[in-house]
Amino acid sequence: MLKVIKLSGELEIGRKDAIEHELHIEGNERGILLDFGEVTYADSTVLAILLRFHAEARRAGMPIAILIGSRQFARLIEYAGLAHAFSIFTERAAALTHLANQTRQ
Amino acid sequence: MIGQSELRINCVARAAAARPMRHAVACFLAATGVAADTADDILTAVGEALANVMEHAYDPACPSDVELHARFQEHARLAIDVFDRGQFVRRDARPGRGFGLRIVRAIAREVSIDTHDGTRLRMVFDAPVAQAVL
Repeated sequence: MLKVIKLSGELEIGRKDAIEHELHIEGNERGILLDFGEVTYADSTVLAILLRFHAEARRAGMPIAILIGSRQFARLIEYAGLAHAFSIFTERAAALTHLANQTRQ
Repeated sequence: MIGQSELRINCVARAAAARPMRHAVACFLAATGVAADTADDILTAVGEALANVMEHAYDPACPSDVELHARFQEHARLAIDVFDRGQFVRRDARPGRGFGLRIVRAIAREVSIDTHDGTRLRMVFDAPVAQAVL
């Protein structure tokens, strides 16, 4: 089962608890798409949560793809030096293809 | 006159205050004609500075004030100070953290931190004005 976690709007410190609540692994997924295509702003609070979630997924052997729609979010990741830490996509189809390829391996 | 434009905000440093403070800075940048791409980066840095205060400056049970002061300088530069009266925590020293200051330093032309009697983070940005609105 491919799981899609969709968050939108502004992902920032004021929503920290809600974001942490949304990002969790149930264990029966074959891959997870983090759909941030409608996120308009993000801060490093989210990056710390993403890093923890990514590490948890890696331990579980779970591929993750991140869909990003805003330039601000993409540049935040670049400025933090994390551009190569995640599988990031700007097109949903490409993200889904990546997950499909990962789950076949 | 852009050179005389400034913004001052004072709020209680709760996490919920970061968003409206950031939005006030966004309105200031738009009103003064700062280009959208530049404004995005400045707002990212301001958001990091505010998040750092909200998360680390005070005991969450009894937060005090956070102040923001933005003003234009010569040569199309914008100085933004974020000031609190709490205790400075250098996030770089904590494993897996420290992105906030790293991001601020990647965006701002100059960054300085004064920890005398609270913490004052000063950021200076190149902020060319696309159109003179004020």
